[in-house]
Amino acid sequence: MSFIDSGISHFGRVIKTGYIQWELASKDGFFHRIDARIKVLFLIFFIIIVSLKKEIVPEIIIALFVFGLTAISRLNLFNFYKKVIPLGFIFGFLIALPSAFNVITKGEVILPVIHFSRSYDFWIYHVPETIGITREGISGVAMLTLRVVNSVSLSFLILYTTSFSEIIRALKVFRVPDAILMIITLTYKYIFIFAKTVEDMHLAKKSRMLDEVANTEARKWIAGRIAFMFKKTQQRCEEVVKAMLGRGFSDTIKLYGFRKMNSMDWTAGFFLFFAGVIFLWS
Amino acid sequence: MHIPDGYLSPQTYVPLYGASFIFWAVALKKFKKDMSAKYIPYLAMASAFSFLIQMFNIPIPGGTTGHAVGAGIIAILLGPWTAVIAVSVVLIIQAVVFGDGGITAIGANCFNMAVVMPFVSYWIFKVVKGNSKGGMRLYTAAFLSGWLGLSIAALITAVEFGIQPLIAMSSDGRPLYAPYPLSVAVPVMALEHLLLFGIVEGIVTVLLLKYFIKHEPDLIYAVKEY
Repeated sequence: MSFIDSGISHFGRVIKTGYIQWELASKDGFFHRIDARIKVLFLIFFIIIVSLKKEIVPEIIIALFVFGLTAISRLNLFNFYKKVIPLGFIFGFLIALPSAFNVITKGEVILPVIHFSRSYDFWIYHVPETIGITREGISGVAMLTLRVVNSVSLSFLILYTTSFSEIIRALKVFRVPDAILMIITLTYKYIFIFAKTVEDMHLAKKSRMLDEVANTEARKWIAGRIAFMFKKTQQRCEEVVKAMLGRGFSDTIKLYGFRKMNSMDWTAGFFLFFAGVIFLWS
Repeated sequence: MHIPDGYLSPQTYVPLYGASFIFWAVALKKFKKDMSAKYIPYLAMASAFSFLIQMFNIPIPGGTTGHAVGAGIIAILLGPWTAVIAVSVVLIIQAVVFGDGGITAIGANCFNMAVVMPFVSYWIFKVVKGNSKGGMRLYTAAFLSGWLGLSIAALITAVEFGIQPLIAMSSDGRPLYAPYPLSVAVPVMALEHLLLFGIVEGIVTVLLLKYFIKHEPDLIYAVKEY
């Protein structure tokens, strides 16, 4: 794939992700109706629980619990797990897989792979006579994979049922200053605006090309485009400041408050908290 | 470089959240004092720019393409404290929206890529560059800042991974978090970043700096300071 095509696909993916998130978050399911503060507290609480669990069985039960929440939130399970499983496979399984061998994790070899005439020692490294997958190693890989899958699915469950600006605003419960939340929200909006601009640049370049560009030329073009985006962001910064001052900005950042929590929010909050406590102690 | 959830124990990710928090607080205080009302749009646009840099695929020798982390060049263009906030905001958005890096690991990822990398890159650039305003020395400084900035950040990441089997083991001796010991994590991360990713980062830093020196030298923070 040429640098132009990979650039278009990269920027296209960013815009698509934002659009999918926006569209899914505006649907009406169980999780969609809960107050964003409850959802963010649930996310942090459960991600900490996932990171504290030391056995495979509790991780599987948490995975099933998240599956249930995803299903009752009327998210498309196939599309949801199509996004979660590859991330779990790459960041959980693939990265951890070499640690299943007895060269990294000592233990009972259950699947021998290579057999040498004797063991070898190089500096601080030891290569055993038989290299193979250990029971302890495979259990470690399974644990890490499940942990990654659970954490990613929890994050996506919240992301696909809550608008990004609501998630960020809900961080107020952790006393995150309004100024930080404002910076994150503004950045998120401008990422999509600028990503579209850069995607258009790549498309314009591609439409003018008859043949592949030499690498040196391509690198110069990219450096020029990045510099252009730098100037564009600076220019936009000036415009935003002028607009803020023009609307009477008084140097105090204050995000609007939340709606009052209803009985459904409290019930859901209590249920999720209670479930979390059970997972924590089991 | 993005550490996912599940690889770091709470004994590691909690202190790293604390360390990053200190840098965020200092950076914000500095901007609020120096820029008044302008600091929010300024930091937001710097963050958006920082995100965009990572999205550009650059052809590298060997027929493939790669992208930079960009923390080094952001530190050179906008200053290390701007880079702390800009890259942190990008990492938070990447973790929440794109699943790149874990939520529990946000503190660690920000410490490695938004604190260590910009400051190391910035100071290497300043020290190697000396008083030169162009030429080979300036570009060598830019390359080294990108290359070593990323490699040192990767080394710190490797140490965070490598200490996990020492501090968090089950009763049967099985590592509970990142399974690779220091003797594996450090050489693997150091070699791949010194020999491959760091070089891409160095090349991108030089390319961008070259363009800015030629067309917009007044915009470069690390050059206009003198």
